[in-house]
Amino acid sequence: MSSKGIDQLGSIEQQFDRESSAVEDLRALEDLRNRYLSRKSGLLTAQLQNLRSIPASEKAEFGRVANELKTKIEDSLSDLQQRISDKEKDAALERERLDITLPGNRRRIGRRHPLTIVRKEIEDIFIAMGYTVEDGPEIETTYYNFDALNIPAGHPARDPRDTFFVSDDMVLRTHTSPVQVRTMEKIQPPVRIICPGRVYRRDAADPTHSPMFHQIECLVIDEGVTFADLKGTLDRFHKQFFGEKTKTRLRPSFFPFVEPGAEVDVSCNFCEGSGCRVCKLTGWIELLGAGMVHPNLYGYVHYDREKYTGFAFGGGIDRYAMSKYDINDLQLFFQNDMRFLGQF
Amino acid sequence: MRASYQWLKEFVDINEDPRQVGTRLTQVGLALEGLETGAGDSIFDLDVATNRPDCLSHLGIAREVSAIYGSELRKPKFELREKTKESKSVFSISIADPDLCGRYCGRYIAGVKIGPSPDWLKARLEALGQRSINNVADATNYVMLELGQPLHAFDADTLEGHQIIVRRAELDETLTTLDGVERRLDPSTLLIADANRGVAIAGVMGGAETEISSGTTNVLLESANFDPLSIRKTSRAVGLTTEASYRFERGCDVEMARYACDRAAALIQQLAGGEIYHGVIDVYPRERKPIALGLRGGRIEGFLGAPVEDAIVERIFKSLGFKIERASDCWTIEAPSHRVDIGCEEDLLEEIARHHGYDKFPLTLPSWKGFGAALPREAEERRLRNILSSLGYTEICTYSFSDEQMERRFRPDIAPVKLQNPMSEDESVLRTSLVPGMIETIRWNQNRGNRDLRLYELSKVYGPHGERRALILGAAGALHAPSVHETERKFGFYDLKGDVEEILTAFDGRTETDTYGLPNYYHRGRVARFGDLALFGELHPEFTEAFKIRHRVYAAEIDVDRLLGVESRKQVQPICRFPAVRRDFSLLLEKGTQYGAVHRMILEAGIPELVRVEPFDRMEAGPFPEKKYSLSISVIYQSTERTLTDAEVESFDQKVLQLLEQRLGAQLRR
Repeated sequence: MSSKGIDQLGSIEQQFDRESSAVEDLRALEDLRNRYLSRKSGLLTAQLQNLRSIPASEKAEFGRVANELKTKIEDSLSDLQQRISDKEKDAALERERLDITLPGNRRRIGRRHPLTIVRKEIEDIFIAMGYTVEDGPEIETTYYNFDALNIPAGHPARDPRDTFFVSDDMVLRTHTSPVQVRTMEKIQPPVRIICPGRVYRRDAADPTHSPMFHQIECLVIDEGVTFADLKGTLDRFHKQFFGEKTKTRLRPSFFPFVEPGAEVDVSCNFCEGSGCRVCKLTGWIELLGAGMVHPNLYGYVHYDREKYTGFAFGGGIDRYAMSKYDINDLQLFFQNDMRFLGQF
Repeated sequence: MRASYQWLKEFVDINEDPRQVGTRLTQVGLALEGLETGAGDSIFDLDVATNRPDCLSHLGIAREVSAIYGSELRKPKFELREKTKESKSVFSISIADPDLCGRYCGRYIAGVKIGPSPDWLKARLEALGQRSINNVADATNYVMLELGQPLHAFDADTLEGHQIIVRRAELDETLTTLDGVERRLDPSTLLIADANRGVAIAGVMGGAETEISSGTTNVLLESANFDPLSIRKTSRAVGLTTEASYRFERGCDVEMARYACDRAAALIQQLAGGEIYHGVIDVYPRERKPIALGLRGGRIEGFLGAPVEDAIVERIFKSLGFKIERASDCWTIEAPSHRVDIGCEEDLLEEIARHHGYDKFPLTLPSWKGFGAALPREAEERRLRNILSSLGYTEICTYSFSDEQMERRFRPDIAPVKLQNPMSEDESVLRTSLVPGMIETIRWNQNRGNRDLRLYELSKVYGPHGERRALILGAAGALHAPSVHETERKFGFYDLKGDVEEILTAFDGRTETDTYGLPNYYHRGRVARFGDLALFGELHPEFTEAFKIRHRVYAAEIDVDRLLGVESRKQVQPICRFPAVRRDFSLLLEKGTQYGAVHRMILEAGIPELVRVEPFDRMEAGPFPEKKYSLSISVIYQSTERTLTDAEVESFDQKVLQLLEQRLGAQLRR
C-alpha cells in the first residue's frame, strides 16, 4: 500500500505535467518553477520539508520518489526553457524579416572604355607570347610615317587628302608603324614588339570611319622567321582573343612595307562562319593587313637583309572591339554615352 | 576594276562558273568585291592592288586565270591591213622630255567615217561602266579595257604642222580639256602639243579643240607610256582622275604601247573604215632592259616556311609570263614587261605563295629566347584604373581635335598645334587640355537623360613642345540617386577632394592643400590643388554655361605621369599593440579661420604620440557669438612602446589647446 505521502507526490507530478504543457513564455516558466521548486513556497519543496512527518518505514521510499520527481521537474523545466528561448529567438528574427525581392542598393563602380578593355586584352595576349609593348609620338615626322616605310614622296598614300599635316614635314601619324622603325633604330634583332596607339586619317566620321582611331601593330624580326610563322601567330592570337573555334584566313594583298602582303579575315565570332548579319553573310570579317617585312625597310635601319626576315601586321583596335561586342557604329566609341559605356 | 566573264573567256578557257572564278581570283590577290549576273554575261568587280596595274585589263586578269587553271592564254586576234603610204610621210612625233615620256607610238588612219558604235561594242562598254561616244573613241576605250593601254585619238586635221611634240607646259599656258574646262598649267605638267599649242594633258585628258567629232575624217592615234609619278602629280594638280591617269600613275607596260596601237588601229578600221598608213611612228628613246633576278631554292622554305616542288614553282612563273632558267640550286628569273611591281627576290616568293596558295603553308610560331614586357608603369596604370573604377568613374575617349577658340579660352598660355588641313574649323587644332572634352561629354549625356555622372579620361594632350598623357576626372549630378533605400545625395566638392585624396594616397602622392596657380575656369571659392600633382574643384558657372549646362560640374586634373612615377618604397608599418586614445574637443574659432590652420597648428605642437587629427562636426551658428563658428575635432594619441597614462594624455591636451588659443584664439566650448 502506498502511503499518503507518496500519493501526494503522485498528484503533484500529475499537476506539474498538466501545468507545464500550458507554459508558452519565459515568464510563465519562471512562475511554474517557483510554484514547484521555490525554497519558501514550492509544492515539492514543501513535501521534502515534511520528510520528518513521514513514518520511518516509508522514509527511504518517499525520499527516492521525491528526488526522482525533483529531477524530473528540473529536467522538464530546463527543456522548456530551451524550447521557449529558441522560439523567442526565431520570433525575433522573424520580426526582422526583409523584402528580399527589393533590388540591391548598388554602389555603381565605373567602367573601363571598351577600347581600353580590348587594347589591354590584346597587349596581354602578346606579352604572354613574349612580345614587348612599345609606343611613340602621335605627331610624327614624314620620314618615320612614310619614307622609312617604303612610301616615298609622291606616293598616293601621302596625299594630303588622306593625311593631316601639321607642317610640311610633320603629320599626325596615319598608322603606328613609325614606332616599328623607331624601335628598329634602337635595337638589333631579335625584335618582337607590338605598338598600340591612336592614329589619324582624313576620313569623315560615319559608322565605319573616323578621323581618329586606334591601331595595334606587331613586328617580328629574327633569323629564320617565315610566312608560316606569321600565319601561326595570327591564328593563335585570334584564338586567344575570340575563342578556340576561331579561324584565320589570309588573302594576297599589297602594302608598300611588306612582301608578300595579305588581308587577314577572321571567322565571324557570332555565327562561327556560317554567315549572319554581323559578317554580312560572308562568315568572315576583315580585320588586319599583314605580310613579310619588305627588305627595303632593313636598309633604313641598317639590318642585314640576308640574315634576317620578319613579319608585321596591323589592325584597328576599334575594329576588334566592334567584332567582339557586335558594335555597328564606330561613333559610339567617341560619343561616350553612358547608356553605351555602362554596358562594359 | 570591272571585268566581263565572257570577255575573259576570249583569252582563256574557263570551265568554272563566275562565282567559283571569283573565289579563285580572291585567293591570288584579286579580291572579288561584287558579282553581277545578267543576260548572257557576269561582271566581276575586282579590287586590284595599286602595285598590279597589269590587272587593270581583261588580258591581265585572264593571265591570272590561266595561271590558276593551267590553261593557255590567247592574245586578241586581229588583222591589220595597212596601206603602202608611210605614216612617217604625213606625220612627225618627237619627245622633248624622255624622263616623263618613255615611249610614244602613233598611227595615222585616213578617211574614217565617224558614227555610232555597233550594239555589241556599246553593250560591252556600258556593262563595264563606260559611256559610248562614237566608234573611234569607243575603239580606244575598248582596247584600253582589253589590254590596259590607254589610247587617245586626235582629229589629225586639227593638229597644226602635222606633228606631235611631247613637252612640259609653259607657265600659265592654257588648255581646254574634253570636259570643256579651261585649265591653266605650269611646267610640272607634261603636255602633248602640236606645232603651236597644247592639245592634250599627257596621260590625263585630251583637248577639246582636237577631239574626234562627227566631221573627223583623219585620225592620229596615240599609244604612249608616261612616268607614273608625273601623271599622279598632274592628275592631283588639275583635279582630274581618268581611266587613263588611273592606269598611267600605277605604271603601264611600255612594251604594250606598240601592240595596242596596232590593235586599236585595226579595230577603228573595222568599225569606221578608213586606211591605215604603213608603220607605227614609234619614238622609244630608252628601251626597257629586262631585269634578271635570282631565286635561291632554299629560300622558299626559309622564307615561306614550307618547301614547294620545283615543278610547281616553274609552272607558276611560266604561266605568269616570266622567263625562268634553272642553274643548280638557283633560278634566274626575268619578269615580263607588264609586271612593274617585281624588283627583288621577295617579290618572286610572293608569286609562288599566292599561286601555290596562302592556305598551303602551315601554322607555326616563331621560336626565340627572351621575354615580353608591358610599357613602363603599366602595372601602376592598371592599378590607377582599378581605383578609378572602384570610385565609380567610367572611362571616356574623346577626339584629340579641338576648336582653337575653345583651347585659348581654357589655356590662354599655350599656342595649340594647328593642322594645315583640318576636317573642319572646330577641329583645327590639337587639344591642350582634357577639360573641354570632359564638359562636352557631360553635356552630351545630360541632354540625353544621363544626369548622374562620374567620368574620367586618361589620354594625351598636345602642345608646341610635345605631347604628354593627362588624367581628368569629371562629375555632376548625384552621388547616390534617390531610391527605396536612400534619399538623393548630390556630388559635392568634398566628394571630389576625397576621391583625389584616395587616388593620390594610393601612389604615395602628397595631399596637402595648396592654393597657387588656380586657373580662372574654376569656381574661385571651390578650387584647390595638391602640389603639382592635382588641381581640382567646381568649374566656373560661366564656363559650363557656355556649354549650356545648368548644373554644377566638378573636375580634377591629375598629372598622371608624375603620379605614376612617384618613387615609392612601401614599407608596412607594424600594427601597434598599445591602445590609441581619442580625445574630442569643440573649439570656437573666428569665422574665416580655416581647418587647415588648426590642423597645422596641432602638428606644430610636436607631440610624437599624436597620430591623427580628424574634424567631425562644424556649426556656423549656435549658442556663441555670431563672429565665431564651432569646430569639433578628434585628436588621437598612441605610443608604439607603452600604454599612455591619463596624466600624459592630459598634458598633450593642454599643449594642443594652449597653442590653439595663443595662435588662433581658439576657445574650448564647455
